[in-house]
Amino acid sequence: MDFSWSEQQRELLDAVSRFGREQLNYDVIENDRNAVFNHEAWKKCGEFGIQGLLVPPEYGGLGQDPLTTVAALERLGYACKDNGLLFSINAHMWTAVIPLVFNGTETQKRKYLPGLCNGSLIGGNAMSEPNSGSDAFALATTATRQGDKYLLNGSKIFCTNGPIADLLVVFANVDKSRGQDGITAFVVEKGTPGFDPSHKIEKMGVRTSPMAEVFFENCEVPAENLLGKEGGGAFLFTRSMTWERGCILASAVGSMQRLLEKCIRYANERKQGGHSIGKYQLVATKLVDMKLRVESARHMLYHYGWLAGHRKAVYLEAAMTKLYLADAWVKCAEDAIQIHGGYGYMTEYEVERELRDAIGAKLYSGTSEIQRNIIASLIGL
Amino acid sequence: MKILVTFKSVPDPYESAAPGGSPATAKSVINPFDEIAIEEALRIRERGEATEIVGLTIGPAAVEEQVRAAIAMGLDRAIRIDDSRALDPYAIARILRAVVAKEAPEVVLMGKQAVDDDSNQVGQMLAGLLGWPQATFISKIEFLQNQTRARCTRETDAGLEIIEIPFPAIVTTDLRLNEPRYVSLPGLMKARKKPIEVQSCDDLGLKVEPRTKVVATERPPKRSAGVRVETVEELVAKLKEEARVI
Amino acid sequence: MVAKTLILIEHDRREVKRPSLHAVTAARQMGDDFALLVLGHGMERIAQSLVSLGAAAVLVADDPVLADPLADRYAAAVAKAFQKIGATTLLATSSTFSKDILPRAAALLDAPMLTDVLKITKSNGASTYRRPINAGSMLATVELTGELRVLTIRASAFEAPPSDVAACPIEQLEIGSLPDGARFISREERTSDRPDLTEARVVIGGGRPLKDKETFDRLVGGLADALGGAIGATRAAVDTGLAPNDYQIGQTGKVIAPDLYIALGISGAIQHLAGIKDSRIIVAINKDPDAPIFHMATYGLVGDLHQIVPQLIELLSQG
Repeated sequence: MDFSWSEQQRELLDAVSRFGREQLNYDVIENDRNAVFNHEAWKKCGEFGIQGLLVPPEYGGLGQDPLTTVAALERLGYACKDNGLLFSINAHMWTAVIPLVFNGTETQKRKYLPGLCNGSLIGGNAMSEPNSGSDAFALATTATRQGDKYLLNGSKIFCTNGPIADLLVVFANVDKSRGQDGITAFVVEKGTPGFDPSHKIEKMGVRTSPMAEVFFENCEVPAENLLGKEGGGAFLFTRSMTWERGCILASAVGSMQRLLEKCIRYANERKQGGHSIGKYQLVATKLVDMKLRVESARHMLYHYGWLAGHRKAVYLEAAMTKLYLADAWVKCAEDAIQIHGGYGYMTEYEVERELRDAIGAKLYSGTSEIQRNIIASLIGL
Repeated sequence: MKILVTFKSVPDPYESAAPGGSPATAKSVINPFDEIAIEEALRIRERGEATEIVGLTIGPAAVEEQVRAAIAMGLDRAIRIDDSRALDPYAIARILRAVVAKEAPEVVLMGKQAVDDDSNQVGQMLAGLLGWPQATFISKIEFLQNQTRARCTRETDAGLEIIEIPFPAIVTTDLRLNEPRYVSLPGLMKARKKPIEVQSCDDLGLKVEPRTKVVATERPPKRSAGVRVETVEELVAKLKEEARVI
Repeated sequence: MVAKTLILIEHDRREVKRPSLHAVTAARQMGDDFALLVLGHGMERIAQSLVSLGAAAVLVADDPVLADPLADRYAAAVAKAFQKIGATTLLATSSTFSKDILPRAAALLDAPMLTDVLKITKSNGASTYRRPINAGSMLATVELTGELRVLTIRASAFEAPPSDVAACPIEQLEIGSLPDGARFISREERTSDRPDLTEARVVIGGGRPLKDKETFDRLVGGLADALGGAIGATRAAVDTGLAPNDYQIGQTGKVIAPDLYIALGISGAIQHLAGIKDSRIIVAINKDPDAPIFHMATYGLVGDLHQIVPQLIELLSQG
């Protein structure tokens, strides 16, 4: 098994590291405090090529394989401290870009993908509802066909990028009597009458990523904005969700690595009782465990990435990756605060923010409980 | 108007072995000062004051990663003089003189120093060999009179100096001249398709030997960390009584 | 006259720059006879101030065309003087002045050059030179081949020479025609009551956390004045407009070695440390306990400099 990167991969990954380090780390504490989205940084990421990593070149992307993509996101997560920016980028990639790549018509792809790749368009999806989170397909939002358009009615919650999105992939049911076989996906563009994404939701972490409660009131969506086919929404959602599970915490592996290094530096420099605190076993153990956690998370991520490029069915690996990386990130962040003591609790040392950002990982893209259910059923229980 | 920008591949000054990780693989980058020179050349072309920006580096095949990065920034073409010897600034200047004779640029732009060698000599030596005017450590450059001369602001120990030089000329760049654009991934992909011209000293009809030999390198004596003080009073007391420096 | 070593002296048109004289110490260490070279216009007083340093002669090229230092004519004049006295070593103290001129002169003389030499050792008739590389994180020991060599030395590595020898002659140099393509337009230099950054016994350095020019001048300047010291700045501080470029200390700015260096809000990037590590005492005041500068500070104080520095100024002004 060859664990080395090719020269081309190395050049790409090094370019990502440098870009992230030099271009994206400013005003993070303040933007987090005020829940401000860094649009300028978003655009730079688009121009740099992040949002389009996986998209075929003919639609404005870079056509990279999944392993290179997750490695690039890991580097970005290491270099860029704004976890919220990365969360918005991820939501955009997995919930809007991927569905269009796999299920869009040629017209839809040519219309939306170039802008979604180059940073000029922001995408997201609207799936969860006030009464359906883990019970994903129990949707109340309806879509009624009327001539050459659909009327959408209902509300969605936890819509990442909602307030700033140029388009959302919205899931609604065209025929409730068919249950989940009625679920259908639509591309709803900003400014469509009857579409209100302006109700912002304030969050504990990844605060620089805007989130909204979204309302549809006789929202008229043209029939050409149907994504995939009527009744194909559940399948489309599951497929893009599998991508999301495997990939969305790639940048978290980078964040964890950064935390680990920060903690080791601190443990070596902070002296109490006559020597550095890293010499105390209780502190050293936390760091050793952190190191093990980061390395195994990275290996799991890369393995998933490699598999996603080599075979179609990666549901098990995607769920395992999501579950393990989320737990690892939260634990790393928690230990990082403990190791830094009082300084870890202070906003300006940027350690406490990591924990606030990490906790969401156990909730989005399927809670850790859901991931466990999935894995249980896939290992034959 | 053709501008020749020379650049060097150097070990990444930012990268050092990160704690807690595997030993850092030695990474190379374009010398930061040369990157500033490339950026300035690109801006001059964007203003319509130059038509061709040619990049030039000297080194073994391994430096082609930096050549690609330079092309990705926007060079029209790039040349690598294949040479893997440890060359000194004077040898480099003599090689550059031969390339300048071939390429006949109006302006040669380069960083004032390489951050690994810290010599700050090549540009000035090249100017001396060619008998061309030089403007070193510039923080600003304006082309004048239909791109036949330039007004340059130089950073000196005492402040700033403004001089004017006619072309052809050598210009070396200082830190505050500009902030280089970052290489984008699409740029990197496109750069892979542009060929890099490779030549050797033989091709240039040159026989150049360095006259400097590094016989040893060592770490300077490490300055050990001292003590932490808790208060301003304690600091002043120590400076007065212990260090006796005030 | 003949001499083996020619030293280019730097002045600011009014008087000699004192660090420039440290090259004399290097020449004395090398053991050969040396001559001093002054270029400019209206140089009588400056030339006179150099006669007791033990040189074989003070050579002066005094001409309106040399009124301002432009490398094309200065390097040509240096090369002419060098060849006239049959020298084999060209020497100067490192500065933007000597770095602009000496490499060009080296090319004219077909000689290799070393920048920022810290130490010259002679054994079996051959010399080796030690100089910093990689922002001073490494020291290289180097040999040169050939008859001729050009060196700049770092002022902090050689002492100021005594001026106590019997006076030597001053010789006017005929420079003939010199290149005149470049034109000097103007200069921007501030005068200050504070000591020169490269000569001061005490230096206060300010970093980016000082927020704005007013705060920088108040805190860094205030502390400098309380101690009779000079002001320096990190590259980041200069880049953000807190201080002018000639305050910059570091790998690509000035290298200093004062008795006392106090770093305010400076994290200690290796490029800055390159400029201060030979200081006798280093004090670091920074609110980040992780900051690398604490690795090499003699005394470290973790805290908010906006509160600490005013206290420090007050305490120093009292006693």
